Amino acid sequence: MRDARNCALWFAKKFTFSVRSVSTGVLLGVLSALIVPTVALAATTTTFVANTTATLVPTTSSTTPSLGRQEEQDAADLTDRCLTCHADQNLGAVDSGGEAKDLYIAPQPYKDSAHGLLPCNSCHTGFSHDPHQMVSNGEFFAQTANEACRNCHDDQFEMYKQSYHGELTKGGTTDGKGAPVCTDCHGTHAIQKVDSLEYKQSIPDVCGQCHGGRESTFLDTYHGKAITLGREAAATCVDCHGDHSILPVGNPESTLSSANVLGTCQECHPDASQGFTSFLVHIKPTSTKAPLVVFLVAFFYLSLIVVVFAFGGIHTLLYIYRGLKDGLYFGKGGKH
Amino acid sequence: MTNGTDARDGVRLVYHRFSAFHRFNHYLVMVSFFGLVMTGLPLKFKTSHWSQVAMDALGGVATAGFLHRVFAVVNITYFILEGGYMLYYVAARKGPIFHEDSIVPGKKDWVDMKGMFRWFLGKGPKPPLSRFTYWEKFDYWALFAGTVLIGGSGLMMWFPEATTRILPGVALNVALVLHSNEAFLATGVIFIFVHFFSAHGRPESFPADQVIFSGYIPVEHYIHERPAEYQNRLKAGTLDQVVRPAPSAAKRRLFGWVTAIVTVFAFCVAAYTLLLILWPLFFS
Repeated sequence: MRDARNCALWFAKKFTFSVRSVSTGVLLGVLSALIVPTVALAATTTTFVANTTATLVPTTSSTTPSLGRQEEQDAADLTDRCLTCHADQNLGAVDSGGEAKDLYIAPQPYKDSAHGLLPCNSCHTGFSHDPHQMVSNGEFFAQTANEACRNCHDDQFEMYKQSYHGELTKGGTTDGKGAPVCTDCHGTHAIQKVDSLEYKQSIPDVCGQCHGGRESTFLDTYHGKAITLGREAAATCVDCHGDHSILPVGNPESTLSSANVLGTCQECHPDASQGFTSFLVHIKPTSTKAPLVVFLVAFFYLSLIVVVFAFGGIHTLLYIYRGLKDGLYFGKGGKH
Repeated sequence: MTNGTDARDGVRLVYHRFSAFHRFNHYLVMVSFFGLVMTGLPLKFKTSHWSQVAMDALGGVATAGFLHRVFAVVNITYFILEGGYMLYYVAARKGPIFHEDSIVPGKKDWVDMKGMFRWFLGKGPKPPLSRFTYWEKFDYWALFAGTVLIGGSGLMMWFPEATTRILPGVALNVALVLHSNEAFLATGVIFIFVHFFSAHGRPESFPADQVIFSGYIPVEHYIHERPAEYQNRLKAGTLDQVVRPAPSAAKRRLFGWVTAIVTVFAFCVAAYTLLLILWPLFFS
């Protein structure tokens, strides 16, 4: 204690002679405190705004083919014809595997979907006659995913075929369970445009269906929080990992391979350097698997919060108890 | 209240506790804290419905992010002001440093705390408190240290590219965890466990303590609330440094209104914040 006091006294002595210059310094400090951050703010805000406007290039270039008025009417007629039965919520069938299959199609979500203007048979090929034959095996649906989408989205399909997800389908697991097909990520009847906020917000959960646990760690990063609360420009899984041509991170061709990761970050953060790329998206800070420094900070705060809140809470409650008991709040004794 | 201490008419002498500089700084702390909490905490409690409502009301995540940075600049400003004042206080020997009436924690705080707990449990008299109580010192230094930590980590995330030119990327992981937890800790300390209770909930301050807005309290109140400082000053003959004639009735009324308005506003912000945190517990 004495040392500390001596140190402070020395400090005090050293500065006493220049009280005036200290005051001037404080004044200058105040001024710069007001001016420097304001200028910095103005400067970064511009790039900040510029970054948000340079949003992601839509990953799918195809657009809904424009239909003529007559075609549009025909398509709607056909869709309505299918919906005569399929709008019935009780419609179902048992497939060859003995599993019950729901055949109900919610009409409005389909009509509001990105494909809402298309007739059913543009995806469900081979259903031109009606009533159609019963389709009783899952293979057909996988085929639909692989072939029907291709009719309009050939480029994406080719990229997908080269990707790791496409590779998985070649292992014979074409039932859509072992390998993701188009509809596993994009959905089916309620399919949304990939640049819509709703679709972007669904991406972490979509990926999480197979890559469980990865979505929750992502959602705890700024990107995840921002997309959850509606910031369209925030990156999701596909912005870093790639979409149709996705490859495992270990693959040299992957968007996140050591050779490519910087370029991937720089798409949104042009000033990023190599150090930037070592930010860890998929860690749980309170897990011992997290880097030690992150774990220690998380653990320290968890303990601190518990201790401070518990102590503060007890102190507060006891204070109120004494105050009430002694009539210090409203009692006749008054406050003083 | 006893005769002669009525806040409207009877106050003849007041104890001057906070200078205009400190009162101004407290406004900066308040404005920046409220602003930062309102624009930042929705991100932490992202799955709370109220967070979405708040974010939309603020104009979206990007706008909230911009406002968060504006309030961060206010935060940095008061930090520099207070830091400058500290240097000045030490350099110009404005007052004692290691003394029971200074802001530096000391042995008496430990004694006072034990004494307070004894008083809470009815096992002794209320200990004579000094110019700054132990919980006020905690409040002050927690805010000071917290501002360094939350401000530093905030700046790191404001300029992630610059940060990772010097530090590895994991520094941003640390910054995120620290910023988020420190924010939660500060919110709890300010709104529930320490500061709001100290300012509004203690019998001595209930329903609101106006001293940080007016700078003074009636001298009778002072003698009752800070008996140790009073005795020290009495002995040292320095009472006249802090005891002054009461301001005019109009001025006293003004400070009453300011306190009332700020209190209502502060409770609105606290309610907004607690809704963010508690919403998922009650509604999903």
